[in-house]
Amino acid sequence: MAKKIKINTYEKSREWFNRATQVIPSGVYGHLGPAEGNFIPVTSWPLLGNSAKGSRFWDVDGNEFIDYMCAYGPNILGYCDEDVDAAAIEQAKIGNCTTTPSYKMVELAELMVDTVASADWAFFAKNGNDVTQAAIMCARAATRRKKIIFVNGFYHGVSMWTQKVDYPGVLPEDVANNLYVAWNDFEALEKLIDENDGEVAAFIATPYMHGNYLDNSLPADGYWQKVRKLCTEKGIVLIVDDVRCGFRLDIAGSDHYYGFEADLICFCKAIANGWNVSCLCGKDSLKSAMSSLSYTGSYWMSAVPFAAGIACINKLKALDAPAMFREKGLKVTEGLCAAAANNGFNLLATGEPALFYLRITNDDSLFLHQEWISEMVRRGIFLAGHHNHFINAALTDEDINRTMEVADVAFKAVRDNHPELF
Amino acid sequence: MTDARTLAYINLYGILGTLENLCELDPNARALLTNKKPITIGFDVKGGPKATLTFKNGFCRMEDGLNRKCNIMLPFSSCEKFNGMIDGTVTPIPSKGFQHIGFLLNSFTALTDLLTKYLRPDPADLEDEEFFVTSTTLMFYLISVAIAQIGNNDAIGQFSAGHIPDGTIKMSIKDGPAVGIVVRNHHLITLKKSPEQYRAIMEFGDIHLARDLFDGKVNAIACIGEGTIVMGGMINMIDNVNRILDRVAVYLA
Repeated sequence: MAKKIKINTYEKSREWFNRATQVIPSGVYGHLGPAEGNFIPVTSWPLLGNSAKGSRFWDVDGNEFIDYMCAYGPNILGYCDEDVDAAAIEQAKIGNCTTTPSYKMVELAELMVDTVASADWAFFAKNGNDVTQAAIMCARAATRRKKIIFVNGFYHGVSMWTQKVDYPGVLPEDVANNLYVAWNDFEALEKLIDENDGEVAAFIATPYMHGNYLDNSLPADGYWQKVRKLCTEKGIVLIVDDVRCGFRLDIAGSDHYYGFEADLICFCKAIANGWNVSCLCGKDSLKSAMSSLSYTGSYWMSAVPFAAGIACINKLKALDAPAMFREKGLKVTEGLCAAAANNGFNLLATGEPALFYLRITNDDSLFLHQEWISEMVRRGIFLAGHHNHFINAALTDEDINRTMEVADVAFKAVRDNHPELF
Repeated sequence: MTDARTLAYINLYGILGTLENLCELDPNARALLTNKKPITIGFDVKGGPKATLTFKNGFCRMEDGLNRKCNIMLPFSSCEKFNGMIDGTVTPIPSKGFQHIGFLLNSFTALTDLLTKYLRPDPADLEDEEFFVTSTTLMFYLISVAIAQIGNNDAIGQFSAGHIPDGTIKMSIKDGPAVGIVVRNHHLITLKKSPEQYRAIMEFGDIHLARDLFDGKVNAIACIGEGTIVMGGMINMIDNVNRILDRVAVYLA
């Protein structure tokens, strides 16, 4: 007998969304919107939110969600963390976006350099894309080469060079110097570099393959060490895009976690718990090239996010957050997989536990998985059917227990819908 | 942004291939073929597609490849020449079957004129609901076939197809036509019937929405948010088909 759990409805969400479509292209665009966010079916999902605290958020209908997407990463300590927000508010009282940047920028840069193992310097911007773009420009400026190697299934932002030739608004010329290689295939990388000898400026990759619609894949033993050696030999800048994983695996950077050193490493989501700042860290050898770039932005040196970032990083260190994320992530994934098995489903959890990716493997099409995700969301557990999830420090055992309770009911609902499978 | 070879594939399998559906949907098309002997036309495009159209008992069927026993053979020295025939700027000269020239000049021309009326409709004609449904249904089949041809032949389309895993995508209009786009090793084939099994689905909420999408009046991303396009399953298949769909508009403009 299934336990009774409230099923959400979204009348106000729909009203707000309809208003949004009148004045905003596609209403809510990008990864937070229903198309890219894979809201399948769209009627199961909240479209606009109202408030958030800790591990939870509330939509405009008043529905409450335990959130495993964490705004796609920025929520790392818990929404509206009191320590981080207090630091931000204090800074806001004395200055934010000013003609002379605040000394807080220097303090955060020093903290980043002290924290990130491979960093000799720090350069700030706003979004992850700002710093992946900075990394590519820096690599090209330093090497005087044009080609960049990407791993198939990559995502490094929204600049034209990060998009693909078949995307609207992108020209073949925009991506003409992009080369592609399979993840974890060192021999293919070696061959590609040989075929483009002397032309490759950089190899850019995430610490492990956490692409969408894919079972996530960790680096093979020795992969990164071999890549590091090859890049050094060939004079290729090794860029780690740690925008998604940064500080969730290792407070010293995900390159440190996997036992190598990047030349350039990009951070964003986890720096300031939702206050907008991104950071490119690099080696001394690239500092001059970075200095040469004409690259800046109106809000890149604003002091409030710097103050928030200092508070956030210090709190992450004090909590030993990466260990906590791993422990909580394991608890969540093991619990969900057990709930699936109890109901006759095989749920596969891949990637690092702090950023787990889920897929029901009983069919080869994701239909069952999307149905289960939809049943979870309708009952207040916010998951995604296409993307890795995120653990935050505010997630409690009570949240996890509630998640398991809902998961059992949601699996039963899917099971009841598919008598042909059981 | 387009190439003549891909356009030739679209023109043959997409445009002329839609004669199959025209004959099924419009009694006037069937009437043009009734009481006529079965006849086959081979289209032989140098450096491009080859297919055979058979007209029999009021219906039309297209087969991939050249049937050497066809009654009429239309050779084209290049894709550009074939595309010119579709545009009406090139007059084809049969290499075989002069005795059937009457069919080409009369029934076949009348059929293609009727098809053009549906595929490039006068806005006033679309006011008639029956015409609107037939026109949009034919557009749907044309676009579905064009997706496969662009995915197989156009350089950017091949890039998109290169990211589609094996399986079948069901594309449909609710309470209307459906097709299966079958992908094997990044090669696409459109089957103009609803597939029994599929790994992904994209369904347009109604035929009017489908028309607005085809005409570029609404955007698929916005429609997904509004719930008027439903998708499910392997969304990466649909995502890449949508990128090819974007190219269809370039070719059919």
